[in-house]
Amino acid sequence: MTALAVPGVATAPIVPPRPRRRAVRVASWAVAAVVLVAFWGLDLEWDKLVDLPSDLVHYGTLMFSDPDWSMLPEALLQTWRSVSMAWLGALLGVVLSTLLGIPAAEGVGPLWLRLPLRWVFAVIRAVPEVVIAIIILTVTGLTPFTGALALAIGGIGTHAKWTYETVEAAPTGAGEAVRASGGSLLETVRWGLWPVVSPELASLALYRFEINVRTSAILGLIGVGGIGDMLTSYTQYREWATVGVLIIVVIVVTMTIDAVSGAVRRRIMEGAKVRGVDRST
Amino acid sequence: MTTVAEAAERPAQAIPPRPRTWPRTARIVAVLAVLTAATATPALGGVEIDLGAIADNWTNGADRIGQMLVPDLSVLPRTWQPLLETLQMAVVGAAISAVLAVPLSLWAARPTNPNAPVRAAVRFVLNVIRAVPDLVYATVLVAMVGVGTLPGVITLVLFDIGIVVKLVSEAIDSADSSYMEAGRAAGGTQTQINRLTALPQTWPALASQVLYSLELNVRISAILGLVGAGGIGRLIDEMRGFYRYDALSTIILEILIVVILIELASNVLRKRLR
Amino acid sequence: MSDLSTRPEAGGTTPSASGPWPIELDEVTVRYPNGVTALKGVSLRIEAGEMVAIVGLSGSGKSTMIRTINGLVPPTSGRVAVGPHAVSELRGRALREARGDIGMIFQGFNLADRASVFHNALVGRFSHMPTWRTMLGLASDVDRDMVMRSLDSVGMLEKVWHRAGALSGGQKQRVAIARALSQEPAVMLADEPVASLDPPTAHSVMADLASINASRGLTVLVNLHLMDLARQYTTRMIGLRAGEVVYDGPAASATDADFEAIYGRPVQSRDRLGE
Repeated sequence: MTALAVPGVATAPIVPPRPRRRAVRVASWAVAAVVLVAFWGLDLEWDKLVDLPSDLVHYGTLMFSDPDWSMLPEALLQTWRSVSMAWLGALLGVVLSTLLGIPAAEGVGPLWLRLPLRWVFAVIRAVPEVVIAIIILTVTGLTPFTGALALAIGGIGTHAKWTYETVEAAPTGAGEAVRASGGSLLETVRWGLWPVVSPELASLALYRFEINVRTSAILGLIGVGGIGDMLTSYTQYREWATVGVLIIVVIVVTMTIDAVSGAVRRRIMEGAKVRGVDRST
Repeated sequence: MTTVAEAAERPAQAIPPRPRTWPRTARIVAVLAVLTAATATPALGGVEIDLGAIADNWTNGADRIGQMLVPDLSVLPRTWQPLLETLQMAVVGAAISAVLAVPLSLWAARPTNPNAPVRAAVRFVLNVIRAVPDLVYATVLVAMVGVGTLPGVITLVLFDIGIVVKLVSEAIDSADSSYMEAGRAAGGTQTQINRLTALPQTWPALASQVLYSLELNVRISAILGLVGAGGIGRLIDEMRGFYRYDALSTIILEILIVVILIELASNVLRKRLR
Repeated sequence: MSDLSTRPEAGGTTPSASGPWPIELDEVTVRYPNGVTALKGVSLRIEAGEMVAIVGLSGSGKSTMIRTINGLVPPTSGRVAVGPHAVSELRGRALREARGDIGMIFQGFNLADRASVFHNALVGRFSHMPTWRTMLGLASDVDRDMVMRSLDSVGMLEKVWHRAGALSGGQKQRVAIARALSQEPAVMLADEPVASLDPPTAHSVMADLASINASRGLTVLVNLHLMDLARQYTTRMIGLRAGEVVYDGPAASATDADFEAIYGRPVQSRDRLGE
């Protein structure tokens, strides 16, 4: 048993020196240096920064103290157009991503197919949706249809990646059973894989819609229509009372869609658990 | 063998009735179909699907892609300065948001903030911040404070706080927090407990999410310039204006390489954080 | 112990707080929001400097009782007093100060795994540190010295800069004891302190607690479900069953029949730790 010395009676204990971990220190100095250099090199216009708080209050008052509610119907119509873009973009994007993503999964498609597919996804991921829209608008013009197509094609980059990752993470038992009873590749995918991965893919599809709602507002900024288009125009006219209404509409609609879609996604995943195909454990 | 044969001869009523799932399936399909139809009807404010335009003009798009497939590297020297600015904006944005995210994450998580009304208020404000798309912030801020990197950096900070605080506070919520009880039993205030024990516990999650936000920042600040908020997006806008698609693809390639490099570096850092 | 309510200010060389305190529970009932009644009108007096085991099966209310004593669980009715503190009536700052005088160790150690041993033990100084000092991460020399002495007294000083998560179970519980000792408590509570440890380590941790009781004269209250540990290390035993005191007497002379009455079933081999 260790003797428990009564404090005060014993002399002060000899404390071991605090170890200095050199790697950690070097890393922290390096991070600090990078941040400092970035701050220093960036022309942040400090005089503007000083005025920033009063600017924010000034424009905040202009926008939200007396919003121009007569613009609400037009704002809602444009929001609906953005949501339509997001929905159609998600639908088309998810269908394309599923068709391309499942063959790109290990264990489904052959290597000569998988690798090029994954490269295509990686390249699309690197291109911002705005740039994709800039290309597409040479075909379909400055229309909401262009926005939907840009969302669909831009979405393939990440969504097809999520699809093949989901498929690869799926348990292999059901697929093996179908193969063991002589199923073809297509039959294996339909009866062995699809029942297992479909709840998660459905959940991801809804999530894609949530992301698209935000991105569609961004695409509006280059002129394909919808709430983003309207917001750019009224910001340029500096009609702040209208801009205030538009921002409120964007926030309320986005949060509502997030909440509804999130609830449906939870329902889907819980349903998957009840039916005994939960993969989260 | 005989049992199988017998089973086959058993009268049909022995089979349990198939559960009626089709009404539910039909309802779901109907809802999806109606939604899709509504969003695709211009008369209702939806999108006009114009397949004819694709049939007529697809060569335009193919030409652009064709041009992009042959990048014009001569534009490279002009990209260094805006690219550096983009990187600086990304780093500064991530650094400021990291500092702000520390108290906000602790206030937004249940173990580190037992005060339910305050927690709900913090979470609500963060949800509002997250609901506004990044480029919308940039557009409005540029109109407010003028063209430059300042609106861009503020946009990145707001965007980063939204995701970092959400992910870190969720990590705190799901992590073991039994050490809280010891701090309380020793007579500590919540602030003391958070500072001395919750902070070191949360540090890896925080660092990892900040690195992630740095990656996203580079991608986002690539387009911030389109609305005048600084960075390489300014050059993208210019090249687009001159129809220099071959130069555009050079810039995109450059961003791709930078993003991949940052991803690799942050993967290495993340592994060391464990 | 002339005047228990005035304590000398904690200083580097001041010995353990203010000497031991008695603990008093008067008709304490605890009902949780989910309707479970964990304690039913428990009245007890534990004298200053006693070493007491609270024995009972899981769900008997012993964990609730120990948490009621330092105010982590507020009683639904009844009164709890520890020395000069009327714990059941305190709120906010006064309650935190009372807790500062009551050390506690836990079955699961409750250490912050990624923080250093030093910072974990420094938690014990919370009630003596101004919050701004904690915010800056600066411990005063007095606090630092107190933590080092506590760690030294449980033989963990050499690990002071290690991460708590890198220690073995027995070492973690020693750090937890040092954390409680850093408080300079007048009373030490222990909630199943050895249930997560292997038998030899369990014995040495129990011996540490007995030694704290003997050398510092602290009142020690320890929850146990193992009969042999209660007999060997404590002087008085309180048996709890379904939230009521069913036994209160000397620990060493408690018979197997007494334990059967506490457990409400015959004694089994798992009720003993063995060597």
